[in-house]
Parts: sequence; structure tokens; C-alpha cells
Amino acid sequence: MARTEVARSEMSQAIENTAPVAATRPGGALARSLIGGLVTSLPVLVVGLLILNFAPTYHTFLALGAFVNLIVVVGLQVFMGNSNIANLGHSAFVGLGAYGVAILSTPLAMKKLSIPNAPFGFATLELDPVSSALLALLAVGILALISGKVISRLSGVAATIVSLALLIIVHSVFLNWTDLFKGNQAFFGIPKVVGLPWMMVMSVVVIVLARLFKDSRWGMQLRASAQSPQAAAALGIDARRLRLMSWVLSALICGLAGVLYAYFAGTISPKLFYFQMIFMTLAMLILGGMATVTGAVTGVIVLSVGLEFIRSIESGVTIAGIQLPQLLGLSGVALGVVIVLCMAFRPSGISGRYELDELLSRFFRHAK
Amino acid sequence: MDYALQQLLNALAFGAEYSLVALGLAVVFSIMGLVNFAHGEIIGVSAYSVFLAAALGLTSPIVAVLLAIAAAALAAIAFERVAFRPVRYAPTTTGLLTAFGVSIVVQNLFMLLISPKPQSVSILNGLNQMWFFGPFAVSSLQVMELIVSGLTILALVLFLNRSTLGLAIRAASRDFATVRLMGIRANRVIATAFAVSGALAGIAAVFIMARRGSVSPDLGFSLVLKAFVACVIGGFGSLPGAAVGGMLLGFIEVGLLVVLPQEYGGFKDALTYVIIVALLVYRPEGLLGQRVELGDKEI
Repeated sequence: MARTEVARSEMSQAIENTAPVAATRPGGALARSLIGGLVTSLPVLVVGLLILNFAPTYHTFLALGAFVNLIVVVGLQVFMGNSNIANLGHSAFVGLGAYGVAILSTPLAMKKLSIPNAPFGFATLELDPVSSALLALLAVGILALISGKVISRLSGVAATIVSLALLIIVHSVFLNWTDLFKGNQAFFGIPKVVGLPWMMVMSVVVIVLARLFKDSRWGMQLRASAQSPQAAAALGIDARRLRLMSWVLSALICGLAGVLYAYFAGTISPKLFYFQMIFMTLAMLILGGMATVTGAVTGVIVLSVGLEFIRSIESGVTIAGIQLPQLLGLSGVALGVVIVLCMAFRPSGISGRYELDELLSRFFRHAK
Repeated sequence: MDYALQQLLNALAFGAEYSLVALGLAVVFSIMGLVNFAHGEIIGVSAYSVFLAAALGLTSPIVAVLLAIAAAALAAIAFERVAFRPVRYAPTTTGLLTAFGVSIVVQNLFMLLISPKPQSVSILNGLNQMWFFGPFAVSSLQVMELIVSGLTILALVLFLNRSTLGLAIRAASRDFATVRLMGIRANRVIATAFAVSGALAGIAAVFIMARRGSVSPDLGFSLVLKAFVACVIGGFGSLPGAAVGGMLLGFIEVGLLVVLPQEYGGFKDALTYVIIVALLVYRPEGLLGQRVELGDKEI
């Protein structure tokens, strides 16, 4: 028992976390990170409620997309932020979640049109949305466990490349297994059962979950081993197991995002879950700062608004009577520039090392 | 027999191309630990400059080849100067993400400034003919690809082993600090490494254009993903590993094309990656990589 305490204090030194660390009671730390997670999700709730009450339908639709991105980015943060290994394959899990519920919950009449030859009796199967979601998440979990077994064994760079290979494998299966996934065509007719309120609830749950993981002993040990593998190994930390754990959790959160996306959009296609999504969510996480859950939230809010603005220019606008031409690729350039500039000038992103609640408590302590 | 020979040549030619690109990645990675995702866009810049030159009236294929290689080398140096120098001493993940960002920017610039659609380039089509050796018909492009890649790798080996700068590059991949203490400029070593890597990409670009007859914004991206995989199989950062990994990848791909029935042809990429991931389960450090524990001293 005493040894773990020493290990803990060593580690918290190792990660130079100067935020208030006073975990005297075992329950205190848990409660603090729970509250911290809720504080972090507060801006999301405020934005969501404003949109829910005041925004026109079109903006609600945009907001739903942004919430899906938020959940993906938070999921990405769980792995990247704690293990410090770049993951370029997470949208494979988003896609798997979305296709999972699409195959399980689409009404039979629709299935006759879209996937009449589906194998394993999926063509004649129709489950309710909740159990389809759970089964889809189970599938995501299994794939994550298998891929995680490989990835957690590799060194940083090789792990990144394998995550990319995973993305390509999954995408190519979506495209080519036409009997089950409908190939390149859109998969339509998924029941639209998720609206903004559910999306907000899930976002908050996911944010709190990510924060709890980050502050848990596993999260802390993983962050320590990312900073100094040798020191962490010397303290008896099994980095592989922790990487696997965060990989699976991250995949499940991304899978949940996919499930929610399918349930609000009703139509999905493979290209939604390919590099475009990787670029965007990665830029969001980097801009916000990948070390913290707050960073993930910040990045999504800032870039969602920014990108919508750029997209309006991209499609050709009229400024002072002059019609600008279509500028395809502008949003891509912007995303790339955001990543490059962030990496060069502020690698820790907007929010840096501190969570929102830690920043607030520091601020108030100084103000006193 | 004819079929088997043809497939062997196919595998060798694909493998040679992957090796070229993978070597370019490995040269840069071995020195500064940068996982250069923008390598594909170096191929892209090279291809688009040939496309632009052809549009402006260039007709000589030889000039086009030289232009492709020069443009690629210059692009590589420019990327290093603009984007990678600020993150030179940053952790690997930072460099990787920067390179990823550069790749996105350049790809989208092609889209924005030229066109999102593939553009036809016919100037190098002359390289792609059928040659007849007695009863065998072979594609001239594949033969050239094999020979040129072989010669290029030979030249690279000679350069790295015989010239001072090459020696500095090899030394820098072991211990950069000591190389600098010997009075060799860091910037120069790194710029040379990028130029070499760019030239390799330029040669690959020539073959790609000759085969496809067109350029598109994502021209190099998927190729570089494969080259990365080749590097990982061979052991990241190891030059022989990159060459071997590229060849192996070529053989796996062509082997799958031969073995898979026609209707499952689409699964080629997926299966290729599955095989490679399975390989990595048994040798996480790659085929030619050494198992290095942190803190090991190099002897």
C-alpha cells in the first residue's frame, strides 16, 4: 500500500502536474475529477441548450454533426492524450459503430431494398435501437481488443502506422463487402431516433468518462509511462496493458459517436468515415490541446465555428457585389495550416496542460 | 511459365517502386526521427511541375524527367525549411502531426489552385511500351523501374559510404550531437538528407506518371501509406529494412492478386495490411529492426 503511494507521488512529480494535488481521501480524488468533468462539459451544455431553444433547423443539424465530432475527439483524446501516440485510425471505429446499428436496426422493408443478400441472416433481422447500439458497440469493442493487442506492443511510430492500416482495412471492407455494407453507395433508412437532447447527454457522459479515465490510477500511470517509459517501467507499470485499455475505451467512445451519427442522420456512406474525418478531428484535438479533455472540447467548439465560416466562403460568396469563384479545398488548407502552426508555435494547444476546472480554481486562488 | 514470369516481374517492379519511396522515408527518419507524411506530396509537387511545364510547351521527355527529380528535391528542401525546422527537436509525435498537416495543406492546394480532378500528362507515356524478348512480351516500364531502382539504390549506398556528407548522414543517424561537434553543420546534413529523399521521390514520380498518364491531388498519398508500411515491416529507420520491406510488400500484393479470385480482388489492400499486421505480431520491431530497449548503449 505504502509502495503505491510512493509510486503515485513519484509519478505526479514525473508528469509535473502542478495542479492542486491533494488526494488525501480516496473518495476525494474521484469526486474532484467527476466535478471537473462536469465543469468541462458545461460549455457544451450551454451551447447545446442555446441551439436547442433558439436555433433554426439547419443550425440544429450542423450542431448535431458538431456533437458527433465532439464525441469522436474526446474518444481520440482518451488514447492520444494519455499515451502520447498519434492515432490515425479512429474513424474506423466510428464507421463500424455506424454500420453496426445500420445493419441491425434498419426496418426490414428498407433492408429488402438495400441489403437483400446480407449474410448471417442479417437481412431478416430487425432489432430495437438500444440493443442494436449495444451490439454494435460490442463489435467495436472486439475489433478494438484485437487491434489493440497489436498496437499496444509496438513502439510509437509503428503503432501510428498500424492504426492507419486499420483504417484502410476497415474502409476497404466497407467498400468491397457489398452484400453487407452496400459498398460505395449510401446506406439509408436507419431509424432517426436521436435528437439534440440525447446527443447532449451522451456528450456529457463521454466527457466525464474521459476525465475519470485521465485522473484514474490507470490514466495517470499511462501518462507517466508516456513521459518516461523507463521510470514508469521501473515502478512496475505495465504500459502495454494500459495502452490496450485506453485504446479500447477510446474505440468504444468513437464507436458510440458512430452509433449516434447513424441514428440522427439516417443515412451513412463509407467515405464519411475516412481521411476527411481523421483530418478534421485530429486538427480539432491538436488545436484545443491533446493533453486535456478541456482541450478536446475547446478545439471542437473553435474549429466547428471556424470551419462553418470557411465552408461558406468555399462554396463561392458574393462580397460587395463581386461573386467569388468556388474555392474547393480551402477548408482542407485551413485544417492543415491549423495543425502545422499549432505544432510549430504552441504544441500544447489552446488549453495547454490544465483542465478548465483546474484553471478556474487557480484563477480564484490567485484572485483571493 | 510465361504467366509466372510476368507476375514475378510485376512483383519486382512494384517492390522496386515501394522500396524507392520507403528509402526516402527511412533516410529522413533515421536522421531526425521525422515520420514524413508529406513525402507523398513531394511526389505530388514533382508530378504537378511536370504537368505545368508540359502545359507551357515542354516536349522533351528527358527534360521532364530531370525536372521531376529537381522539383522533388527542391520541394523536399522547402518543406524542411518552412515546416519541419521549427519542430526539429520536438518529440516524434509532434513531427509526425506536423508532416500530416503539411500533407493536407499541399494536397488541398493542388485542389484549390489546379483542379480536384485528375489532369492528363502524356509527355512520359513513351516510357511505357511493350518489349519483346523472343516469346516474352514485357512492359518496358517495369524493366526500367527495376533497373533504375537498382541503380539508384546502388548510388545511394555509394553516396552514403564514400562521400563525406554521406558519412555525416550515417553518423548523424546514430548521434547527431557528436556529428555537430565534429564541425559539420546540422542544417546542411538535414538539407542533404531531405534532398536525397526528395530525389528518390522524384524518380518514383516519373514512373507513376508514365504508368498512369495523369496527375491528381492524392497521387502520392496512398503510395506513401504503403511505403510507411514497408518501413514498418523492415524496421523503422533502417535503410536495408526499407528496401527489403518494399520488395516484400510488392510480392505480397502481387501474390494476393494471383491467389485471390477475381470477385474478391477489392480485398487486396485489406488483406495486404492484415498480413503485415500479423507479421508485426511476431516481430514488433520489424524484420531487420533490432530490439532496442530504451537506455541500451550502442556499441
